[in-house]
Amino acid sequence: MAPRTPPPPGRAVRLIFDLSLGRMLWSSRSLFTALLAAAPLVLALAGRVLSTGGVAFAGSSGPADGLTSFGVLIMLVYARFVVPVAAVVLGTSIMADEVEGRTLTYLFARPVPRWAVLAGKYLAYLVCTALLVLPTVTVLYFALVPLASVGATFGLLLADLLALALGIAVYGAVFALAGARLRRPVVFGFLFVFGWEQVALLLPGTVNRVTVAGYLEALIPHDPPGSSGLFGLGQLVGDKPGVPEAVLCLLVVHAVCLWLATLAVARREYVE
Amino acid sequence: MSAGQAVVAVRQLSKWYGQVCALNDLTVAIPAGVTGLLGPNGAGKSTLMKLITGQLRPSQGEVRVLGQAVWGNPDLFLRVGYCPEQDAFYEEMTGLAWVRMLAELSGLPAGEAETAARRALALLDLGDAAGRPIGSYSKGMRQRVKLAQAIAHEPDLLVLDEPLLGLDPLGRRAVMTLIRAWGRDGRSIIVSSHVLHEVEALTSTIVLIDRGRVLAEGDVHQIRALIDRRPHTVRIRAGNVRELASWLAADEGVRSVRFEQGAITVETAAPDALYARVTALAAEGRVADVTEVTSPDDNLQAVFRYLVEP
Repeated sequence: MAPRTPPPPGRAVRLIFDLSLGRMLWSSRSLFTALLAAAPLVLALAGRVLSTGGVAFAGSSGPADGLTSFGVLIMLVYARFVVPVAAVVLGTSIMADEVEGRTLTYLFARPVPRWAVLAGKYLAYLVCTALLVLPTVTVLYFALVPLASVGATFGLLLADLLALALGIAVYGAVFALAGARLRRPVVFGFLFVFGWEQVALLLPGTVNRVTVAGYLEALIPHDPPGSSGLFGLGQLVGDKPGVPEAVLCLLVVHAVCLWLATLAVARREYVE
Repeated sequence: MSAGQAVVAVRQLSKWYGQVCALNDLTVAIPAGVTGLLGPNGAGKSTLMKLITGQLRPSQGEVRVLGQAVWGNPDLFLRVGYCPEQDAFYEEMTGLAWVRMLAELSGLPAGEAETAARRALALLDLGDAAGRPIGSYSKGMRQRVKLAQAIAHEPDLLVLDEPLLGLDPLGRRAVMTLIRAWGRDGRSIIVSSHVLHEVEALTSTIVLIDRGRVLAEGDVHQIRALIDRRPHTVRIRAGNVRELASWLAADEGVRSVRFEQGAITVETAAPDALYARVTALAAEGRVADVTEVTSPDDNLQAVFRYLVEP
């Protein structure tokens, strides 16, 4: 007997999430993201082995202490590079993988609204990316920060994790929108991350407020190490937003991008 | 058939892909029961099926399925099952897990979805392979598991795009038996194919489309009547074909005579008169050794060809 009521939206989202998470976790994109996220940890551990005082970074005056090293890695490597790249790689695939695999037809021929398909897949992206990135950050913290300092600095780790999680969510929403609207979302993603955002962060005034990175860095509770190099230059010329403004703006960007993505998915024809 | 009685009512439907017109001002009412959608590759069959199943939005015109608009109406898919043409799957999933998941998305509770999935797979002789990854299936098994996901939730309307493609004889028989049984149960099925004898074995109700237009719709016999107005080809093998050709060439309705090895092929607008004339000439002894009078127009393939060719 055919069912005569569609699945409740929450159940539909859950089913799509279950379907998508397993596929996403075991994909080559996830393998790449895992290696990308683990690379700084491996380098830091290697540096620690080679250096008695901590990890030496280009542009710094000498070996930095563990917490400073951790902060630099969070700001320069994870917030600026790992999270955005992971979001490009995994976020743009939220719809694109199904389109390329020509399997979206099976989902769109069900009594399920298209926004539920996007929502389930976006949630899978969030969980997958968080699982690939955040545990590595935690391990990195314990690898670099002396045990005696953990009690006093653990709050910083939690703040970093929350900021990076928010970054994963917001970048994911931006690139989910790109994936829902564009034929080559990965190209757009890399241009956005390595083109627009890098340039905007170097420009004076409030241009950094039209980047995700600008707000994300405002949430990371580490002081920048000096003012040399590209990172320092950006900090000098940019007008850094406050934490409440950064959180609010990131949440607005997140909501708007997801809303636009649902509209795009509802209106777009994904088959030819 | 009025649009009100139709399970699928298409009115002045056009679909463009950029500058390419896939369907052109197409109007058709598909009745309940089994209907064959026939046309050569590129005719617009798959585009029409994608419009019927809400995968595409009409550029112009309207598609109504079971009395409802399709685009942006996912609830309709409680009553519709769709088996697309493409060979695309979640390869790592087992057949059972895939069909069960899609049955759950179709509104069945988890327990019922499991039962429905197993039943659908068994109907298509995939019971033993249900626990294997789809990636390990043969082409015929993949085609059948695709059909299983379309029927698991027991829809009122099944839309099957080339469902017999790639099936071995046993698989083909299983699918054809299933389609006929569903038709007998009062369900509606639209099945596309470019292999006419397959559709002929399933139903006599057909819609012929080519180049985005409906060439003909209705019962095969009605469509046969259409071609009576168009020239027929009759092949006659006889002893003295040159004399036979000279007699027939003068007959009204004969448009051309073509010589072959010991035979002639006559194109005529009056096939019945031609058959009578040949019979009469043979009876009078004026034509010797008539060993073959055949018309390639006696099967559905010819109906199709007549209607497609300009």
